[in-house]
Amino acid sequence: MSLAHRNLFQDKTRLLLSVAGVALAVMLILILSGFLAGMNHQITSYLNNSPGSVMVTQKGVVNMLGATSLLPPGADVQVEAEQGVEQVIPILSQFVILDLHDKKLPAYMIGYDPGQGGGPWRIRAGREPQTDDEMVFDWVLAGRHDLSLGDSLDLMGQTFKIVGLTDGTTSWMTSFFFITRKAAENLLRTPGAVSFLLITPVEGTNSEDLIRRLDDLPGINALTKARMAANDLELFANIFSMPLRLMVAIAFLVGTMIVGLVIYTATVERQREYGVLKAIGAPNRVLYRVVTTQALFASLAGSLVGILLAYGLAGWIMGARPQFLIVLDPADMLWALLSGLGMALAAALFPARMIAGLAPAEVFRK
Amino acid sequence: MILLAFHNLFQNKTRLVISVGGVALALLLILSLDAIFAGVEHQITAYIDNSGADIFVAQKDVRNMHMAASAIPASIIDQVKAIEGVEIVTPILYVSNMVVTGDKRNLAYIIGLTENSPIGGVWNLASGRGQPGKSETIIDRSIAEMSDVELGDTVEILGQRFTVVGFSNETANIVNSIAFISLDDFQALRGSPDVVSFLLIKTHSGLSADAVAALLESKIDGVTALSRTAFSSQERRVVKDMSTDVITIMNLIGFLIGLAVMALMVYTAILSRRKEFGVLKALGARNGQLYQVVLAQAFMSVVLGFGLGVVFVLLLSGIIPRLGLPLSLEIRPISLLKVGGTSLIIAALSAILPIRQISGFDPAMVFRGT
Amino acid sequence: MTDTTLNVDHVTKRYGSSSTEVTAVKDVSLSVKPGEIVLIMGPSGSGKTTLLSMLGALLKPTEGEIHLNGTIISALSEKHLPDIRLKQFGFIFQDFNLLSALTALENVSIVAELAGMKGVAARKKSAELLADLGLAGRLNFLPEKLSGGEKQRVAIARALINNPTLILADEPTANLDSKIGHEIMRLLRQIAKEQNRSVVIVSHDQRIKDIADHVLWLEDGQFKEIVSMAIDPVCGMSVEREKAFHLSLNGMDYYFCAKGCRDEFAADAEKYQQTNEASF
Repeated sequence: MSLAHRNLFQDKTRLLLSVAGVALAVMLILILSGFLAGMNHQITSYLNNSPGSVMVTQKGVVNMLGATSLLPPGADVQVEAEQGVEQVIPILSQFVILDLHDKKLPAYMIGYDPGQGGGPWRIRAGREPQTDDEMVFDWVLAGRHDLSLGDSLDLMGQTFKIVGLTDGTTSWMTSFFFITRKAAENLLRTPGAVSFLLITPVEGTNSEDLIRRLDDLPGINALTKARMAANDLELFANIFSMPLRLMVAIAFLVGTMIVGLVIYTATVERQREYGVLKAIGAPNRVLYRVVTTQALFASLAGSLVGILLAYGLAGWIMGARPQFLIVLDPADMLWALLSGLGMALAAALFPARMIAGLAPAEVFRK
Repeated sequence: MILLAFHNLFQNKTRLVISVGGVALALLLILSLDAIFAGVEHQITAYIDNSGADIFVAQKDVRNMHMAASAIPASIIDQVKAIEGVEIVTPILYVSNMVVTGDKRNLAYIIGLTENSPIGGVWNLASGRGQPGKSETIIDRSIAEMSDVELGDTVEILGQRFTVVGFSNETANIVNSIAFISLDDFQALRGSPDVVSFLLIKTHSGLSADAVAALLESKIDGVTALSRTAFSSQERRVVKDMSTDVITIMNLIGFLIGLAVMALMVYTAILSRRKEFGVLKALGARNGQLYQVVLAQAFMSVVLGFGLGVVFVLLLSGIIPRLGLPLSLEIRPISLLKVGGTSLIIAALSAILPIRQISGFDPAMVFRGT
Repeated sequence: MTDTTLNVDHVTKRYGSSSTEVTAVKDVSLSVKPGEIVLIMGPSGSGKTTLLSMLGALLKPTEGEIHLNGTIISALSEKHLPDIRLKQFGFIFQDFNLLSALTALENVSIVAELAGMKGVAARKKSAELLADLGLAGRLNFLPEKLSGGEKQRVAIARALINNPTLILADEPTANLDSKIGHEIMRLLRQIAKEQNRSVVIVSHDQRIKDIADHVLWLEDGQFKEIVSMAIDPVCGMSVEREKAFHLSLNGMDYYFCAKGCRDEFAADAEKYQQTNEASF
């Protein structure tokens, strides 16, 4: 519709500002969802990279990063004895707070047996711990706090030496670090304790059957690692969903308002023209089309720019603060365009109604 | 000139609503996120602040409860009692676990209380009893409401079923809640009998908690002792330190959006009145006087937007708890100050483009057909 | 020189350059004394608007000078002009150009405030002025609620509030009906004669000739012979006497737009004679 085109482009600055506003709103929506996606990725990184496919936890525990789990004594022996169990890896884990440079950093401590596994999956520098006073630390966190190989860290009354740095073990809320299981037992004053058993079933074993049998053992709970990861995700999603949805709703409203303002103003200024069109017989729907086209153009252009901005901003944030992971999914782009579309249609409503109410006699008023 | 700005602004109600609303929403992004984190910060120390304890004793180097673990040998309780100034010593066991209500799993901090302990227990009872006996528990009221749990129903904690005998207030936030069970039950399910998590201490009245805490630390090995206020501020820092980067990013985005909306609004408003500005110029107004009109209009809009944003966030802080959600918003003066300052900057920046526009208006355009 | 308010000295205005050059106003001179009303007429595109813009210091001439009360305003830099516009001129426009968000009173007082008058004093003086113009009951009305004649009177009050020596009016009666138009004309005459101000009016409106002291005809950017107009008694059209078809009858001169009308008149003179007398 060339009329729509002309109306919109007549004022370049105004068009630019409205596209900018929409772009920012769309960018925000994308960044927020990318942030959530990245966080989910980080949360499940241990489970996704550790050995085994079945987890044994304390009865009642179905999360890794939620409740603390302590298996009843002897549970590991019982589990090992079960049919279909190939390998059993015990770990002792717990959330702790690290005090670094006057900053409180929640971290998830994993005590494991370096010979057996269940420890870091990607060591960037150094090695695994060999003694009970050695620690493998997250590389990003170390960088943010000026820690490197060979440095000491105090934790719960004990001093540890950093002998290794890992990748893939960070998130903006917390990070993973590793010590020997014995060291963890000492810290938590729980000799011989085990939090989780990572189970690798014998090849060909029916997992469901195995889980059922393990579940029957006293005081423990068994579930697939995948299920556990999903539970962790749900836990965090629940926490963040409300503020996130609030932010997204606000961003959407703002984008709509911006497009609405521009189209409305452009329409008001051209009341006479629309009146003229009506007077010479143009039906309302033709005029609606004009208004809607303008709105669509502004918001689609804005959405595209918003997508670009999101990529840019995500890259900048992750560069400046590597503990943030923002994952932009191509599927999200579709959502971005759809939300831009939604903004456009909502924004075109009011001016459209105004046009519908215009009396063609407007033409003759000075 | 200010009067003209005022009248110009209010003449077009629709445009006023849209632009003020847009700015208000952008500022709301900043205000509400600040308020959410402040609320969490406040609530996270609810237990500590209301425990009635003057001093908290934890494992050495442990200065937090949330996302932390602490283990102290029970044998030191007698040692602690012997310290000068200590009146009451109450051990608690503490772990993060789940309260399973029906099919909902709620992350919760489970506190094992000794029988009839004067401190460390429920401080705001909504209904029922505040002291859990064997196989009994007191859970947070809003958590119970969200799952339709009533007094007498059972819930699962630490893998075991407990009967709900009381509901507490102020014990939930968006992340988790608190549930109270008896120390005996706790030990049976979880710990070794020789280990406790924290010691809550009440000092003799009139004594400085910091002093007694320091004395305690010096006399007893392997522990950290903090006054309640010190412990509380350490706890708040967990939230604060975690949220700083997120808040900064959101502030930036909110600022940019607010700026875009305001710049667009002022630009559009001035543009639509270009004929009138031309007339004023023809009548002899100086550019400086016209700039005043633009600035006044920008500032007035932003002030209105700010006011509306504050109203919105106040409304949110009132509505959300009423929806039964364990999310409380706390609006802090410093947040208002920050957002207020941001608004002023937005106003000033958004006036730049229109001011340049005006200086270019040719007064000769007043003659028929702009 | 001191006797004249306004002196326009061989003023030319050219737009564009070389091949695309347009001369809107060519070598125009005129002077206006205090208390005088000068009417500038001419067809569309004749340069009237350009000339008026220059008189009002809204536009600079390409050649020539414009003197106002002894000052060469055409030579002043932009930064001195607002003051002159505010205090020396009063503008009246065809479409009134009132500020839509302000009341009648505020529309007048804002101009006084621009000139430095304080709010209270400005409003008082504005109220008095508006009352003089018969608008005492309309002070707090917005322009959208005022009739055309009322709006023009507000505009006139606005033009007078800072006591200017020169009033410039662009088609002041074009958007008004006949009766109101007459009143505005009367008002302009009153302002010139009783308040001793110079008034320059640009207009198509024939009726203004009644009140003007001098009538100038601008065509293609230049002043032409002052023309007299007459009305064709047969078809009622205005015709330039110098160019019209002419007939003398009983000592009276009659002017016609075309031979056809003259012939019709000649065939039945009595029928049309009354019409002619009532022409002005």
